[in-house]
Amino acid sequence: MEPPRSSGVGIDNSGEYSPEIAETLRFEEEIQSLIHPSSFDGSAAPTGGGSFTALLGLPANQAVELLHDSGAREPLASRIRVGEHPVHRPFHLPLDCSSAFPSNATLVDRAARFSVFAAEGSPASSSGRLKAEPQDSDSPPLDPIPTGPAKRKDTGRSKAKVTAKKSKNAEENTDGDKLPYVHVRARRGQATDNHSLAERARREKINARMKLLQELVPGCSKITGTALVLDEIINHVQTLQRQVEFLSMRLAAVNPRIDFSSLDSYLSAECGPVTVRNGPGGVVVDPSLWPTDATAEATRRLLVPQFWHIDLVPPQLQPQQSLTTWERDGAAHSQLLPNPTTSLFLYDPANSGDTNVPHRTAKLKTAEDRALNL
Amino acid sequence: MIASPSSSSSARGSKKAITKPGFKDQAESKWRTAAQQRIYGRRLIDALRATAPSGPHAVKEASDSALALTARGQSRWSRAILLGRRRRPSCKFLLKARRGRRQPKPPPPALKQGMAASPEGKKVSDRLRVLGRLVPGCRKLSAPSLLEEAADYMVALEMQVKTMRALAEALSAASLNAAEPGS
Repeated sequence: MEPPRSSGVGIDNSGEYSPEIAETLRFEEEIQSLIHPSSFDGSAAPTGGGSFTALLGLPANQAVELLHDSGAREPLASRIRVGEHPVHRPFHLPLDCSSAFPSNATLVDRAARFSVFAAEGSPASSSGRLKAEPQDSDSPPLDPIPTGPAKRKDTGRSKAKVTAKKSKNAEENTDGDKLPYVHVRARRGQATDNHSLAERARREKINARMKLLQELVPGCSKITGTALVLDEIINHVQTLQRQVEFLSMRLAAVNPRIDFSSLDSYLSAECGPVTVRNGPGGVVVDPSLWPTDATAEATRRLLVPQFWHIDLVPPQLQPQQSLTTWERDGAAHSQLLPNPTTSLFLYDPANSGDTNVPHRTAKLKTAEDRALNL
Repeated sequence: MIASPSSSSSARGSKKAITKPGFKDQAESKWRTAAQQRIYGRRLIDALRATAPSGPHAVKEASDSALALTARGQSRWSRAILLGRRRRPSCKFLLKARRGRRQPKPPPPALKQGMAASPEGKKVSDRLRVLGRLVPGCRKLSAPSLLEEAADYMVALEMQVKTMRALAEALSAASLNAAEPGS
C-alpha cells in the first residue's frame, strides 16, 4: 500500500531532466558537504532518498528554502504524480502526494516567510519528505515552521537529533481531507522510527476525529478517555435511532387519520409518473381520476403538504402557480397536471370554492412555521 | 426529485458552505442548513405518502431512505442504506441472518488494532466495533473513517429527528383541525 519511493520515478524521467538532475546533484553535493557525516545515513541516492537525509542535516536556511521551493513547485509536483513531466522536478514527491499538496501549500507558505534565498532545483522535491528537523543550534529561525515534515514510511531513518515542535498542522492536514500522508513532527524525546511515527500519525488522526465527535455529542467535552467518549457517542447514536423509531411510529399513527390512502389515489391522478423512491409501489397514473368528493377535499386541505409546500416548492417548479393557486381560487386543474411534483402539494382550493380555505391555510401556515423553525 | 437546494437556500438566506475546511464543518454545514431540512422534509412526505398504509416499520424505512437520499450518496452509510433498500426485503432479511452468524467471529478487523497504541486498547476497539454496527454499512471500517462516518451519521440523524418531529406535530395539529369542523 505504501507507494514506492519516487526515486524510481525520478530515474525514469532522468532522461528528460538531465540538466535539472545535474543541478540537483550539484546541490545535493553541497548539502552533503554541509552535513555531518555521522548524521548522514547512507542511501544518498540522488533521486530522493539522499535528499531527505540531506535535508535533515541541512542548516536552517537551506531547509527552509527547500521547503519554499517545493511549495513553489507544488503545481508541478501534482502533475508529477499524474505522470506528466514537470519542468523543474527531477525528484518526485511521495507517490500519494497529491493529497499532501494542500498541506504542503500551507506548510510552505509558512516556510516561505522565513526563506532566505531561493535556489533552483532543490532536491527536496518532497517537501512532503521533509522531516525538516534542523538541529537545535540552527533551529531558532525555523521554530515557527512546523510545516515541512512529512512522514516517510519507507525510510528507516532515525535522526540523531530531532527538534521537537508539536505539529500544529498535523491536525489541519488530517482534518482537511483524508490524507494518506500525514505530516507529523516528532516530539522531543520521542522515537522517530517508522512504526512509532506511523502510530503517532494514526493516533493523531483518530484523536482529531474523536474531538469532533466530542463536540457533536452534548456533554462529551468533559469526559476524558477514549473509551468513555466512545461510550457516550454510541449512547447518543442509539438514542437518536430510537427517537427516529418512535417518531416513525407516531407518524404512522397519524397517517391513517389523515386518510392517506384516499389521498394517494387522488394524488396519483395528479402526479402522473411520480418516482417512488423507497419501494416497489409504483404510483398508478390515472388522469381520469379526479375525485370531487367533499371529504377528500377536506382532507386534502388539511394535508400537511398543503402548508409544507408553501415553503418547500422550489422556485423552478412553477412557484407562481402554486402561490397564486393558494391565494386566488381560480386555479384550473390543467395548471397542476403538467407539473407532477408540485401537484403533489398543490391542492386546488378553487375546486371547492371554499372561502374558508385561506383562513385555514393561514392557520396551518403558522403551525408550519412553528414546526419548521425548530 | 427537486434538485436545487441552492435556490431554496437562497430564498431562505441560508447558504451552505461548500468549501469549508475540516470535514466536521462540512458535515455540519451540510446537514444543519434549513434548506436541507426542507429538502429532506419534502422527500419524507413523498415517501410517507407512497407507503401510507404500511406500519411504523415501513415509515422508518422510508424516512431512512429519504435521509440517505438527501445525503446524495456522499457518505458510506447513505450508500449502504440505499443499496440495502434496493434489494428485495427478503434478501435483506437473509443478509441480516448471515450477519448474525458472522458475529461470533472473534478477530476484529486488523485495521482497528493496527499498532496497539495506547488509546487503542481492547475496550476502545470493542466500542469501535459496536459503533460500526450502529452506523449502517460501516462494520469493517478503519477507525478514522468510522469516526468520520459516525459524525456525519449523527448530524444526519439529528436533522432527521428534528424534521420528523416537526412533521408529526404538524400532522397531528392538522388532524386535530380536521376533527373540529368535520365532526
